[in-house]
Amino acid sequence: MEIAYQGEHLFPGSLGQFFIVLAFGSALFSFICYYFATTETAANSDNSWLRMGRIGYWLNTVSIIGMGVCLFYILYNHYFEYHYAWSYTSKTLPTYYLISGFWNGQEGGFLLWMFWGAVLGNVLIWRAKSWEKPTMAIMALSQAVLGTMILGLQIGSAHIGSSPFLLLRDAMAEAPIFKSPNYLDFIKDGKGMNPSLQNYWMIIHPPVLFLGVASLVVPFAFAVAGLWQKRFKEWVPAAIPYALFACMILGTGIIMGSFWAYESLNFDGFWAWDPVENASIFPWLIMVAAVHVLIVFKNSGHSYFTAAFLTLLAFVIEWYSSFLARSGVLGETSVHAFTDLGLFWQLVIGMAIFFIIMVYLLVSRWKEMPITKKDEDTYSREFWMFVGAVFLCLSCLQLVVVTSLPVWNLIFGTKWAPPTEAIKQYNVFQGSFAVVIALLTGVTQFLKYKKTDITRFFITSGVYLIFAALVAALVIYATGLYKLSFVFWLVMFASLYSVFANGKILSDVFKGKYKLAGSAVSHIGFGLLLVGALIAAGTKKVVSINEQGEEHIAESYKEENPKENLLLYLNQPIKMGEYNVTFKGDTIEGAQHLFNIDYERVKDGKVTEKFRLRPNVIQSQGGMSSTPDTKHYLFRDLYTHITMTNVISAEPKQEENHTDHPEADDDKNYDAPVAHQVAVGDTIPYRDGKIVLKSLNKDVKVKDIPLSDKDVAVGAQLEVITQGKTYKTEPVYLIKGRNIFDFGKKLEEVGLKLRFSKIIPDKGKVEIMVYQQPESKRKFIVMKAVEFPYINFLWAGTIIMVIGFFMSILRRNKDLKVQPAAAQVKIQKSKFKK
Amino acid sequence: MKKSAIFGIVTIAIAIAVIISTYSNTSTYGSFNDARKADAELHVVGHLNKTKPLYYDATKDANYFSFYMKDNKGEECKVVFDGTKPQDFERSEQIVLTGSMKGKEFHASKILMKCPSKYTDDKLNVAESKTQSASI
Repeated sequence: MEIAYQGEHLFPGSLGQFFIVLAFGSALFSFICYYFATTETAANSDNSWLRMGRIGYWLNTVSIIGMGVCLFYILYNHYFEYHYAWSYTSKTLPTYYLISGFWNGQEGGFLLWMFWGAVLGNVLIWRAKSWEKPTMAIMALSQAVLGTMILGLQIGSAHIGSSPFLLLRDAMAEAPIFKSPNYLDFIKDGKGMNPSLQNYWMIIHPPVLFLGVASLVVPFAFAVAGLWQKRFKEWVPAAIPYALFACMILGTGIIMGSFWAYESLNFDGFWAWDPVENASIFPWLIMVAAVHVLIVFKNSGHSYFTAAFLTLLAFVIEWYSSFLARSGVLGETSVHAFTDLGLFWQLVIGMAIFFIIMVYLLVSRWKEMPITKKDEDTYSREFWMFVGAVFLCLSCLQLVVVTSLPVWNLIFGTKWAPPTEAIKQYNVFQGSFAVVIALLTGVTQFLKYKKTDITRFFITSGVYLIFAALVAALVIYATGLYKLSFVFWLVMFASLYSVFANGKILSDVFKGKYKLAGSAVSHIGFGLLLVGALIAAGTKKVVSINEQGEEHIAESYKEENPKENLLLYLNQPIKMGEYNVTFKGDTIEGAQHLFNIDYERVKDGKVTEKFRLRPNVIQSQGGMSSTPDTKHYLFRDLYTHITMTNVISAEPKQEENHTDHPEADDDKNYDAPVAHQVAVGDTIPYRDGKIVLKSLNKDVKVKDIPLSDKDVAVGAQLEVITQGKTYKTEPVYLIKGRNIFDFGKKLEEVGLKLRFSKIIPDKGKVEIMVYQQPESKRKFIVMKAVEFPYINFLWAGTIIMVIGFFMSILRRNKDLKVQPAAAQVKIQKSKFKK
Repeated sequence: MKKSAIFGIVTIAIAIAVIISTYSNTSTYGSFNDARKADAELHVVGHLNKTKPLYYDATKDANYFSFYMKDNKGEECKVVFDGTKPQDFERSEQIVLTGSMKGKEFHASKILMKCPSKYTDDKLNVAESKTQSASI
């Protein structure tokens, strides 16, 4: 039965869906036209295939922009009849997070990938000249394959792609709510964004990452074009700038992701070797290796097959990593529990298409490839660049083999689980590869292309090796790295060597050897990145070691696992390492729930430093997510996050009315009261301090209750002294007519409620009832604080590396202009080994 | 022999070493019963027994969390974790523990949990499920 639903806004969705189909159709059309434009014999061509191919691609670009506009319109207007809007946004979400809501779902991710693909394609139309036809055929094919991922076509029980314009009622057709035509009246708000994504880094990180991902297709397209058109040598110099661009942007995107994790997730670090993280660096490692081998070939004519193979592989492996991340195959091995959109086989097919193209071209052109039979010189730069590239691939291989365990299980029907000490294993393996690679980035710089003066080479590199060893020894001693495995000493040594050796090359740049500048800078950046990552990850220290914990302390296992979470009661300072920390209450600012934690560094009884950290706990989608706050010093970071609190869950909102109306229910929040009979000036001791009755106030006024002459109202002026602070309060005792009332007072900060319950005239005393909050009812937080030494080297190294890549792109572009296309062997120096 | 051939052999040797060492280091998914026999840490997959109490009291010990889990063979065991209770633990559909048996308790060093997927959630706007979809 058809139901006439009310209040839906179907137009933007239909329009968006139209654009999706148009984008797919135009990409396919463009691919076909470009294919024929490439294969037709040039002589009698009127370029009509080419023109149609371009029109197709432009149409594709327009449709993608149209889709984006429609989707944003839906999100912006909170049309929760759309599954996408309902799943990832809510009305309370600030507008700037609506932008990140855009790429919250996988469909948005594909959309972003396609958008950058469209932009890059237009760059190629504009700039690729003779390469346009074959490269654009590949670009259009890539757009078409991506287009299928968001098609959202339902054929029987199978569906092709998952559309961002899916209606909520179609997504959950069985839900009873959709039986009523006015179901939208019941859907007041969307589920809201996953709290851990509500961070400004999530606005900028995904576009950069996806630009990096999308840019991998360009070198792939050039390699395919070169092999397909048998312009075997020409494609290499043309592809190098794009390959460098892909390395630069993808690297930036990945590190931004790790910065986001560090700044806003609570997994205590910047890299966790999680399968999804690993998958993101496969293509980067391969692309960096490919860049180096491309340059080797360009300069020496060696290693043609490897250059072509790696350039093609980088894009295929990007599809593999998309498959890992998006198909749900990683299942129980990853914390990034990606939702499975049922695209498993579609992703496999996507990957297979590009894999088949790669294999077909490599096999069919094998005999024609310009492969040299001559051996390379041992003391040539290109030989060692090649070695370095191979080690980059080995490092990638290790990641692929371990990360793909669930895939192997699927294929071979096995039931392997990841190593229990996976992180340690990754660190040792990747550390060992890093030693070789970092050493090569230094050594190779001292070699010349083709042939080197051997004695001089050994002297220079030897001097720098010794210097690096000395500095490394110093650093290892000073930072406490010596506690780690020997491998990491070597990593430190190799990274420093890379920094120094490339520093030397950089200083030569100022003497006029400009060509090496880009490579020197990016290698220095890479070296610093390793240094920073190594010290920060290797010597990070949990500061919040907890020595309390009464109950379970006897158990022996505690010794191996230091207790890393610290309990802080409101306003109760605790000593934590060299700091005194105090939880000073919480504040709600917009969507944020901030916890104010005061830090005081105390030295010889004097406070030398004072600051406040405000970690944040966001509640959304029925869960809570804790965002750390970090005190940044130049050479270390102090990082703090809330792991648990009773402020949010245990406290209903009604608690605010702490005024003059004692409620029976409220007493449940306290331990059984203790009555004290006291005279003025007496002191009542209690658990956390003492209470002094200063005086009795006969002129007390009670809000809203007019008093006549016959009525008696007495206030007990009390002072509560606890932890060096004094709080004043005044509970009231009232006789009005024949009734007796008393108005208790609460002191939230100290967890007390005080009642003035009786006057005993013959003894000259009054009765004060003391209600203490049980420990568990008092506001508390459980926090974890971690110190990361020298982490700024990691970020600074990244920035320097990106600058280096950028300089190299400029230089390679200039090469292209100076020496058009022909195989140039006589280029003095260049970029290499990472 | 050519230098590149030697280098090729070395590379292949390293690659094989990587693969072998990976598989010698893999762990297995087991049951509590397997954990009792094994010395090393292993993974146990199962689900939370929601009828038995979860114990976490930060005021007593902020680093002690215990609960009862049924493994995939139906055996139940008390699990102890040195840390705070993971957020939304009660909602988990499936739990993967890494750890080992100490006496009668399973001591987990790592807990990984799966929350309900959004497509199976038909309790719309009554109790929305939480899907950790960190798609980027």
